[in-house]
Amino acid sequence: MEEAIIRFEHISMEFPGVLANDDISLSIRQGEVFALVGENGAGKSTLMNILYGINTPTAGNLYVRGEKVTSFSPKAAIDRGIGMVHQHFMLVPSFTVAQNIVLGHEPKNGKLLFDNKKAEKLTRDLVAEYGLAVDPSAEVRDISVGLQQRVEILKTLYRGADILILDEPTAVLTPQETDELFEVIRRIVREKGMTVIIITHKLYEVMAISDRVGVMRQGKLIGVENTKDLNEKILASMMVGRPVLFDHLEKTGEPGEVAIEVDNLFVSDNRGLPAVRGVSLSVKKGEVLGIAAIEGNGQSELLEAITGMRKINRGKVTICGQEATGKTPGEIRELGLSHVPEDRLSTGVDKLASVADNLLIGRQKEKRFNLFGFHQRRSTVERYAEELYEKFDIRGAGIHTEVGSMSGGNMQKVVVAREFSFDAPVLVISQPTRGVDIGAMEFFHTRIIEKRNDGAAILLSSADLDEVFRLSDRIITLYEGKITGEFTTNEITKEEIGLYMTGTGEGAKA
Amino acid sequence: MSKAFAWIRRKLNPGYIASVAVSIVVALLIDAVILLIAGHDTITAYRELFVYPFSSGRHIGEMLEYAMVLCMCGLACVIGSRVGIFNVGGEGQLLLGGLIAARIGSMMNGMSPWVVIPCAALGAMAVGGLYAFIPGILKVKLKVNEVITTIMLNSVAAAAIPFFSSSLWKTSRFNEGIDVPTDFRFTTLIPTSNLTTAIIASAVITFFVWYVLQKTTKGYEMRLIGDNPRFARFSGLKADRIIIITMVISGVMCGLTGMFRVFGAEKTFIMTKVSKDYYFEGLMVAMIAQYQPIPTIIISLIFAFLKTGAYGMKTVGVPIQIYWVIQATVIFCMAGEKGIRAAIRKAGERRAAERDILARKEGGAVHE
Repeated sequence: MEEAIIRFEHISMEFPGVLANDDISLSIRQGEVFALVGENGAGKSTLMNILYGINTPTAGNLYVRGEKVTSFSPKAAIDRGIGMVHQHFMLVPSFTVAQNIVLGHEPKNGKLLFDNKKAEKLTRDLVAEYGLAVDPSAEVRDISVGLQQRVEILKTLYRGADILILDEPTAVLTPQETDELFEVIRRIVREKGMTVIIITHKLYEVMAISDRVGVMRQGKLIGVENTKDLNEKILASMMVGRPVLFDHLEKTGEPGEVAIEVDNLFVSDNRGLPAVRGVSLSVKKGEVLGIAAIEGNGQSELLEAITGMRKINRGKVTICGQEATGKTPGEIRELGLSHVPEDRLSTGVDKLASVADNLLIGRQKEKRFNLFGFHQRRSTVERYAEELYEKFDIRGAGIHTEVGSMSGGNMQKVVVAREFSFDAPVLVISQPTRGVDIGAMEFFHTRIIEKRNDGAAILLSSADLDEVFRLSDRIITLYEGKITGEFTTNEITKEEIGLYMTGTGEGAKA
Repeated sequence: MSKAFAWIRRKLNPGYIASVAVSIVVALLIDAVILLIAGHDTITAYRELFVYPFSSGRHIGEMLEYAMVLCMCGLACVIGSRVGIFNVGGEGQLLLGGLIAARIGSMMNGMSPWVVIPCAALGAMAVGGLYAFIPGILKVKLKVNEVITTIMLNSVAAAAIPFFSSSLWKTSRFNEGIDVPTDFRFTTLIPTSNLTTAIIASAVITFFVWYVLQKTTKGYEMRLIGDNPRFARFSGLKADRIIIITMVISGVMCGLTGMFRVFGAEKTFIMTKVSKDYYFEGLMVAMIAQYQPIPTIIISLIFAFLKTGAYGMKTVGVPIQIYWVIQATVIFCMAGEKGIRAAIRKAGERRAAERDILARKEGGAVHE
């Protein structure tokens, strides 16, 4: 247990203009689960990419099993027994599980032909050895994300890895799938003596699975601790570098009249296939309705239809008592709706325009910005932009910065600053904190609850179940375009919700 | 102080200016070699290139008239590009504008120029705008690619116009031509040259286009639509409507340019003379100017200068085609120069990307 299998000695990694890893010394022990945590851009992935041979460090030494690493390449890393499962899977959807696992080192029939039977047998052997149940002959496109991840893990095992790096493995999983993954990790560590390094920024997962945890911030390793000596609060403040007040979301006030009403809505996706199939919901003023669903179950299409960005096939949408069905996004905005879109790059901003221009849109016709209703009063625009820039704590090189050059969190602040500045009675918010670090996440959550307490009706969708739980008064689950359950937040657990999200809860049977 | 410096940088873009200057110099060097190989006296030829355009009032006039046409066409293209459409059909719009203007002029012979000239201008603008409206509405309503439709409509115009100009509406003694009566023509500014008061009208229009694009709320909305139409729609802009209107305005400018040609320099409508693919040259100007109004004006002047200079080189025996060679090399060098700048900037990123590819090949995994 105590032997260091991997040792980083004074490792630094410099990219043009950025010191991504700054003098990092770290030992990882044989047979432990080591969690590497930190905000976006803290340097976790860079450090792991050094271990996996994708990056060559600018300075310092790396030792694996006591041997100094001299040549950095993924091939050499694999030969050293290191395997990495990336956030985005590298699988061929039309190949079977077995074919994917052996890809690159295929068993041959003679010298030329691929031996499918042998591949499946090899896979079955692996499955039996490690207890990772998966059907070798199933095509990858037909299996769930959780199983695809298993295939990725099996692939590294097939190549003889006994050190496994998992990059944000739970980002795409349901709570049940996460539990299953953790079960697998525990088993391979306990029974096979493997070493697992897990990159994450979900703190409760760190607590649940790891033996030790390393915290990174701005390229530096801030500390390495035994997990049992920590709690989530300490971890969060280590990551951000200041105390994070995570449980101070005070919800006040009583819900008022209904502001969003959706009646039996049918919407198609981009391919013309039904995505939303008969959804009805209502949101009152002063409440947050959260949508919990695994990606691709109609939540995106539902929100787009409500905000006018997508055609409604059937059904009715009412915003603040007025019919919104079939109206343009502009007309729906006039009914009193603001929208933080799911994909900020393609929908939420003009990347090529300045922060000021992005903050102005929607108000550009207001009298104060126009002379004779025609000439744009640039100085007033800039003063207004400066105000919002300060108020929403946007950090960057000022209001003339091109939005496309900003970080995800700051870009999202631009979107939220603009949309929240309309003081609309109805807010539709999708993925408010995707790709945003913990410090900014806290900021967005506070703002959203402020709006709620001020009496806005908020419809929220997020892939982050914690977020949905934290912000919502009520939660609905969507599965394959249908509502499978509706709950009051404090009367349900994440695990139960998980069942409804996969269509296996009580609601699905009814 | 640093704020003022940042402002200047933002407004002037020194990198761009350097890039244009370098490409012109490099192009001239390349062309010097070409001239040498072709057996011409390069020094004499280049002296003519630089001296000839300013050697007489007439040459200056020709140069400015040509710059005017390029600038109007270039700006028509710039306007379209602001909302993300590429109007390639300006040639047809220009010719139709010229044709209708000439017809109105010849029809209303004897009436007051105060009535006829505005009528001709309005007619030219209407037909140019209408001819641009077709691809505009097709793009917005049916998502038909405007590049294809506008190119095709050029051919339609080129095929249809001779029917009017050399038979139905012909007034000239020659095979083709609709004459504009002397009373209606723009006043010549420099005697014996083609330069007329049309350039004053063009200057006013140019200023107005710059003003609308850069300084008004409408220009701001157009820019957002061009950058990201989905975002514009999301933000409540009536993107489709603004796109169609912009396309029409682009056509209106081309039509008006046609009218300037026949009421100014040409005095009669002969299709091949009113425009020798001038719109396509304007298009190149706009591209090199990166679709910015002020650079479009400057590049128009540079191109007009080079073309007039090429006529100068002709007087010492260099064929006029050398102008096309120079223009082509300038464009080529600009494209290349831009590529080099981008290459330097991306050198670091590329190194990382190569590693990435290596990682995929060897490890079968991807680094995101």
